[in-house]
Amino acid sequence: MEKQVLRFKVNGDEYEVYIHPKTLLAEVIRDHLGLTGTKRGCDTVSCGACTVNVNGFSVKSCSVLAVQCEGMEVTTVEGLEKNGKLSPMQRAFLDNGSYQCGFCTPGMLMSATAFVSEAKNPTKDEMKESIEGNTCRCTGYNSIVRAIEAVTQGKYKEE
Amino acid sequence: MSHAKYSVINTHVHNIDGVAKVTGRATYTFDVKLPGMLYGKILRSPHPHAKIINIDTTRAMELSGVKIVVTGKDTLGIKQGIWRRYEELCDEQVLPLEKVRYIGEPVAAVAAVTEEIAEMALDLIDVEYEVLPAVYEPLEAIKKEAPTIHEGVERNVNVTRHIEWGDVDEAFEEADYIREDWFKCSGQAHMCMETRAAVSSFTPEGKLTCYASTQSAYYTQGLLAGVLGLREGDVRVLAPYVGGGFGGKFELDAAMFCSAVMSMKLFKPVKVVFTREEDFIASKRRTPMFYYVRTGIKKDGTFCARESRMFSNGGAYTGMGATALYLSGFFHSFPYKWRGYRYDGYRVYTNTLPSTSMRGFGAPQAMFCSEQQIDWICADLGLDPFEVRRKNGHTEGYEVPGQAFIASCGLEQCINEIEKWVKSKGKMPPNRGIGISSCGFMSGGIFNWFDSPYSFSSAVITINVDGTCELHVGCQDIGQGSNTTMAIIAAETLGVKVEDIRVHSGDTAHCPADLGAWGSRQTLMAGNAVKMACEDAKKQLLEFAYAEMGINIVYDLDIKDRWAHIVARPERGMPYGDLVKKALRAKDGQRIMGRGYYTPHRKGMISPAYSYMMQAVDAEVDPETGKIKIHEVMTAHDCGQPINQLGLVGQLEGAASMALGYAYLEDMPFEDGKLMNPNLVDYKVIKAPEMPEAGIIEIDTYEPEGPYGAKEAGEGLTNPTAAALGNAIYNAMGIQMKELPITPERVLKALREKKEAQK
Amino acid sequence: MINDFHYLKPASLKEALAMYAQYDDCKVICGGQSLLIVMRQGMLAPEYLLDIKHVKELSYIKFDDKDGLRIGATTTHREIEKSDTIAKKYPVLVAMEGKLASIQTRNWGTIGGNIAHADPAGDPGPVLIALKAEIKFGNANGEKTVALDEFFVDYFETKMEHGDLVLEIHVPAPDAKFGCAYQKFNLLDSDMGIVAAAASVALNADGTCKEARIVLGNAGPTPLRVTKAEDLLKGKKLDDKLFAEAGQIASEEAQPVADIHASEEHRRHVLGVLTKRMLKKAFEQAQKAA
Repeated sequence: MEKQVLRFKVNGDEYEVYIHPKTLLAEVIRDHLGLTGTKRGCDTVSCGACTVNVNGFSVKSCSVLAVQCEGMEVTTVEGLEKNGKLSPMQRAFLDNGSYQCGFCTPGMLMSATAFVSEAKNPTKDEMKESIEGNTCRCTGYNSIVRAIEAVTQGKYKEE
Repeated sequence: MSHAKYSVINTHVHNIDGVAKVTGRATYTFDVKLPGMLYGKILRSPHPHAKIINIDTTRAMELSGVKIVVTGKDTLGIKQGIWRRYEELCDEQVLPLEKVRYIGEPVAAVAAVTEEIAEMALDLIDVEYEVLPAVYEPLEAIKKEAPTIHEGVERNVNVTRHIEWGDVDEAFEEADYIREDWFKCSGQAHMCMETRAAVSSFTPEGKLTCYASTQSAYYTQGLLAGVLGLREGDVRVLAPYVGGGFGGKFELDAAMFCSAVMSMKLFKPVKVVFTREEDFIASKRRTPMFYYVRTGIKKDGTFCARESRMFSNGGAYTGMGATALYLSGFFHSFPYKWRGYRYDGYRVYTNTLPSTSMRGFGAPQAMFCSEQQIDWICADLGLDPFEVRRKNGHTEGYEVPGQAFIASCGLEQCINEIEKWVKSKGKMPPNRGIGISSCGFMSGGIFNWFDSPYSFSSAVITINVDGTCELHVGCQDIGQGSNTTMAIIAAETLGVKVEDIRVHSGDTAHCPADLGAWGSRQTLMAGNAVKMACEDAKKQLLEFAYAEMGINIVYDLDIKDRWAHIVARPERGMPYGDLVKKALRAKDGQRIMGRGYYTPHRKGMISPAYSYMMQAVDAEVDPETGKIKIHEVMTAHDCGQPINQLGLVGQLEGAASMALGYAYLEDMPFEDGKLMNPNLVDYKVIKAPEMPEAGIIEIDTYEPEGPYGAKEAGEGLTNPTAAALGNAIYNAMGIQMKELPITPERVLKALREKKEAQK
Repeated sequence: MINDFHYLKPASLKEALAMYAQYDDCKVICGGQSLLIVMRQGMLAPEYLLDIKHVKELSYIKFDDKDGLRIGATTTHREIEKSDTIAKKYPVLVAMEGKLASIQTRNWGTIGGNIAHADPAGDPGPVLIALKAEIKFGNANGEKTVALDEFFVDYFETKMEHGDLVLEIHVPAPDAKFGCAYQKFNLLDSDMGIVAAAASVALNADGTCKEARIVLGNAGPTPLRVTKAEDLLKGKKLDDKLFAEAGQIASEEAQPVADIHASEEHRRHVLGVLTKRMLKKAFEQAQKAA
């Protein structure tokens, strides 16, 4: 039916797009804004490859209508680095080899980053649960959990 | 030996693609967007077996935004297969002309300006079918009265394989005890995070560029050229980053084929990406296998004879099934010395999703049967499972008669380490047990079924004036880290740092041919090619250094840590950077280039080298619900010399996650040829909370055929887990699990039957 | 494929109810975690979609010692999971939410949306019924409150009629000696239960059973209260034998449907086991309670 204007912030930048209301947030991010770091791996809101952060919450962008994000602040994997400096979680992933094919990695980073920003002295089980919504076929998850653990232990600071 | 002092090898090296992957810069075929690109969708058969009477595309073509609809009639109709050397095994037209043989098989493809329009157009394609009787199970399909799936193929027997050595009947005579069992092994979906995807672009010069999510850009190039009637050199395949492969992505798939066919007609780029559902129903899967295993053993534990028969569900086409058929039978003998061994494998066509290679290549199925039966035999005879395996295990220098020569073997140490580990765990609480399984695996295959005229692996290294290097390889990084492994080998050989090496791969226009990422071949084969290329380049540099430094003829030179030096007097030398500059000037401004290649010669029937391992799984069963909890996995592993430290841990943990899935979570149930769970809600892939700790004990050996003594790690590690879990449950509950996956319901059924039997 | 729809974004509850009443072929979206999947599969294609995600009046968690807990319909699962109040007073709700799908889904999906979706395999239904919850729903003309177990009518069907919105869940203040436990049987932690059981036990001063509730998940078209088993326990001194007996009844009363994940027999059997275990757990909690 009618398209409408969506105004929101992505990775700190203001965007204005003209979309059908049925457009998913994942589609706006990837196809309209060209930010292809965020991936899609299923049709059933299962795999989490599309995970982004909306107003501080990690969400699966394939199950959110973009229009619901009017006026909100979205962060994608591209927004984790600051002026070429990688975030603590990104550096922890590099040191721990917490990725292989890398397709699930952007979503993993978003879930992990959201988790460490609010978790206080999390247990190993809580760290595992933080990425429960993200499927990885390559790593077996343990290296990702090791990276999360290292960040929660303060081994990586913002540069 | 990993005791050797290496600068780079087996040190903590970041994956060289890491920054691209963690920052979202890595571009996959899934992300590729070309100017004027159209979106393709595939119409698939709803019938498991039917003649195609007519396809009317008129209504679809009339839909605004649709640019083309193609069917088999718009193609050359070539029957292709990855076993190019054997015409009878090239049995698949990706868009069939005459009939469909499984639910989900492509029958037509559409290209439109948006994905949505392409999808709507599918509903407007009218296909008239004549439904034929169908058959779904190999033991049914092999009967005389079963419908014929491929004309001229009797009893639907697609391929047979026979492996035999020794006098099997005599060896059985020697046995004090004989046991026989039937097993049923399930299929499995590769379930790569990136589904099958391709973007093809055909231009007026008659050249095709294809971005493909592939495990072998070279295979894709060859296969596409073959079915499209193009010269290989006029086809360029790019695999930028690949979101997983696991054995499912080196054949020709419908994304590659349909996008190419449509692009060739429209002279516009066309993108085809499988939905997750399509990926489940229409990309080939792990081979389901029915195994009959008969084993004869002396009462002192010496293995005498084994005779096995295997019927595999080949599905509608051959794919890589012929290789899986052979390898399953071969690894079913691993890792033991048999006086007599006989394997007969039958791959049978059925009207289901074709089966093909998947990580382990038939060995996980083979081990599930073999390693469990060995434990049951030990229980029957009161023998120690570790001792029996040690007694009969392969040793260095052993020849599997007529099949393989074992040049390095750390099996005994693996068994010793796991035995120690298991003993350290002490007595297990009720309903909990530890099970073991040992196995071995190949480091790439020897048989050239693709009929490639090229060396199996090749590499070219070019040194720039500032000392940085361009390493061109054909091996494909699909996440396992081969780019990094090659960079490590190159850096070590040349005497520089990993950051000095830029790896170029995944582009047939710029990279040498390489068979690609399958059979766990790349570290050994491509690694050897890279080592040879770098030795060539280093030799050229050192030739110049000898002259430049004017040293005594008795001295040797080498380069290490960017320092070209006399080996006996390392303090005397010159910086690598200076050496490169001067060498370049001396060669009239030509960069130093080194070439390397590797093809295994005279290495037996299977592989140039074999990894070995023993794995233990600690599992607990809820006796009332049958639910299984995996506490821990521990593997003692011999891959010769580990090269890529982080990569190796990743391969072990990743393989364990996939193999555990195969053992107790993942299943592909079909009903009348229809896959019942083609989505990630109903197909259960292991998640973080279920994944146990998976430790590794590295066993040191040196493989003379491998670069720096290295051999495979990554595929072999999927082999033991289903068997080890089965053995854990046997030790915990006394039940024998003969069917995969090991589900709670099957566990409870076995417990009930055990209780009944005890009455 | 999701159909093209007209998008309606009311600013208040009043406006939402008025808009909903205005359009016949209209569905409500809030978190959309269930709705969008169904729409993508083409099973629902409404002409209008009414978005109540930002109707702030419906987002709240209130607790009063006498009145109990009131949760607004658009409260997210995550907000419930993270509520200190709910953790203290109704820990079973926090535990249940912690195992519901994944964090991403809980961040955006709402309790009202989950209840309205009426999937008998959903987690909140059985637990809330075991807690004796009521649900308030209403339209432009008025509101109604019913017991939650009467609210669910059939697979994906509730007592609501067109124009009705879920407004609030009300969980009464628990008895003094009260316990409630919930467990689902699944292969993966984040999955919906193949089957599930919630049990609550309220004890008299003398320790006998004042009241028990047993609610099964994915054991029929709606969350299933096993009143026959509940009656067995009432007034009695509870022990393992009774829990096992109650479990047996639950297993017989259940109406599970087989699918590729489990046969009917296995589901019945596990329901019996879960019922027995959750009753025991709830009982032990009740004994420990002040």
